[in-house]
Amino acid sequence: MSHVSYRREPYSGETDYVVVGSGAGGAVAAVELARSGARVTLVEAGAWRDPEHYPHSVYGALHHLFDDWGSLVARGRAMWPIVQGRCVGGTTVINSAICVRTPEDIFAQWAREHGISGLRDAVLGHQEDLERELCASPVPPQSAGRANHLALLGANQLGYESHVITRYVKGCAGTGQCLQGCRGLKKQSLNVTFVREVTERGGEVLSCAPVDRILFEGKRAVGVSGRFRDEATRRRGGKFVLRARRGVVVAASVTRSPLLLRRSGVALPALGKFFRAHPGTGVFGVYDEIVDMNVGATQGWASTAFRSEPGLKLETLSLPPEMVASRLSGGGTELLRKLREYRHLAMWVAAVRAESVGEVRAGLFGQPVVRYSLDRADMERLRHGLVLVARTHFAAGARRIIPGVYGLPYSLGPDEVKVLEQGPLDPRDYVGVISHLFGGCVMGSDPARSVVDDRGRVHGYEGLVVCDASVIPTNLGVNPQHTIMGLARTFARRLLDA
Amino acid sequence: MTAILKHALCALYPRTDFFPGLGDMDLDRFVREFRRDASAMLLLGMYAGLVLFVLTPVLTVYVPLPSFLLPRSLLDRHASRAATFPLYPLRSLILVLKLVAGLCWGAHPLVRERLGLPPLPADPQEWRRA
Repeated sequence: MSHVSYRREPYSGETDYVVVGSGAGGAVAAVELARSGARVTLVEAGAWRDPEHYPHSVYGALHHLFDDWGSLVARGRAMWPIVQGRCVGGTTVINSAICVRTPEDIFAQWAREHGISGLRDAVLGHQEDLERELCASPVPPQSAGRANHLALLGANQLGYESHVITRYVKGCAGTGQCLQGCRGLKKQSLNVTFVREVTERGGEVLSCAPVDRILFEGKRAVGVSGRFRDEATRRRGGKFVLRARRGVVVAASVTRSPLLLRRSGVALPALGKFFRAHPGTGVFGVYDEIVDMNVGATQGWASTAFRSEPGLKLETLSLPPEMVASRLSGGGTELLRKLREYRHLAMWVAAVRAESVGEVRAGLFGQPVVRYSLDRADMERLRHGLVLVARTHFAAGARRIIPGVYGLPYSLGPDEVKVLEQGPLDPRDYVGVISHLFGGCVMGSDPARSVVDDRGRVHGYEGLVVCDASVIPTNLGVNPQHTIMGLARTFARRLLDA
Repeated sequence: MTAILKHALCALYPRTDFFPGLGDMDLDRFVREFRRDASAMLLLGMYAGLVLFVLTPVLTVYVPLPSFLLPRSLLDRHASRAATFPLYPLRSLILVLKLVAGLCWGAHPLVRERLGLPPLPADPQEWRRA
């Protein structure tokens, strides 16, 4: 059987490799193992939705595609939501499929600070192959949408480097539905590419199947166990036990991989530590012309000109009315008056290459709890990023900007950017989101400060590899999907060679 | 509780001369489905936001009445001020309430028409089961 979903009866099986998680890390590792001729079972906590099953509404996307409705919030000074997918294909179903190669300085930093060397050539080589396999290409002008054109125009006016984003998208139709799943099958999310290939190569997929534990014989990982969970009713179903003859690969996400290892008895001091992210928020520009940001690529423009100094990433991000409604300040008739401007709004965001470090722990009921607060230096970066975005809006012709910062006026004119420059440094005054998570099972040569080695192998265990963003020990400052996939393919190859 | 919740949601998104309000929509169905579907954390946030919304007119419009007893003009002012209140826990929990209400309001065909967007088809309730 190539796909097993929720069932009340127990299920057991034996395979060469069990891969836990079907996102950017798990699906890439699984297909690499399957291509070698090995039998692979891919186990995913969420349901398997094909594009015709994707929801149209934001309600449906939060319910069916996002992890826990996106309601996991970082606990710290402010409560900012942490955004991840939970479905076959993982976050690749709900992200903008942005493809950025791992920057050279990152490999040098990993070698210098974490004793990890010898990854550069392998990762960059695999990334080149992945770009070809997943049809990575720049957003075509005809489907970019006005918001992305305006951002490019603004950056050009200000004279800083920016570019049209390269994405794993084939023939983008510009429907603005990246975050709800691309129904047009243009986005090459991994549920419609590598996961399908795994089954075509004789592999098996278990969906609605959250893994509770990794099974060990001594220090060797020999399988996983868990219970099916009904997607609609959340009812727990039958127990499943999967035996792995050659190894277990964990790619359950930054918030869940460390907890799975800990529940399974792995006791390493760095487990759950060194959580990092790209926290960010956006500024609306209000234009005289109709922008219709919901038309065109959800994210089609970016700048990494400020990645090294001060440590920022700028991007466009179109939001549907449901989200804009909660993002604008106030309530009642005042809020609805503001919403009349929706068609004239463009939202661009600044995400911080944050140096703040947090931790992932298990909560009272076993759920992930993330402790993470932005320090003053990161808040200064964020504020600086918002000023850059504001200036870019004005350079592109915006009449006003809406900063969305508590304590500041609702909107600011071109001569009032100084107000934003002197804005608050308290994260509670911003409506932010935490995306692009790193850490929790970081790689390194020292078992006291890391969880996995340069092959993704968990220190002190055999046949157990981690290959998702949780192994990344530093903040990349660029969109991480390509790095996760490059690392996953590298670790899968090394696992096969072992 | 349902009536109080609906009252608060409608106060956040009232009818205006341009937009329909939440009171013009099938809010009973939305509330029923949301209670069934939402995560425990989100429901907790929504109800905490509701309790604060109901109890805080004394802080926002200086009237010691629950929000559902406020006259219409004061209720509208309370809805606006509660969402921008200086206390972070209050402001952020009202944001959760606003987000939940926005999921219903922003997806409504009349709202989308006003915003130049096509109506949304019903979400498929299917996925691969075997």
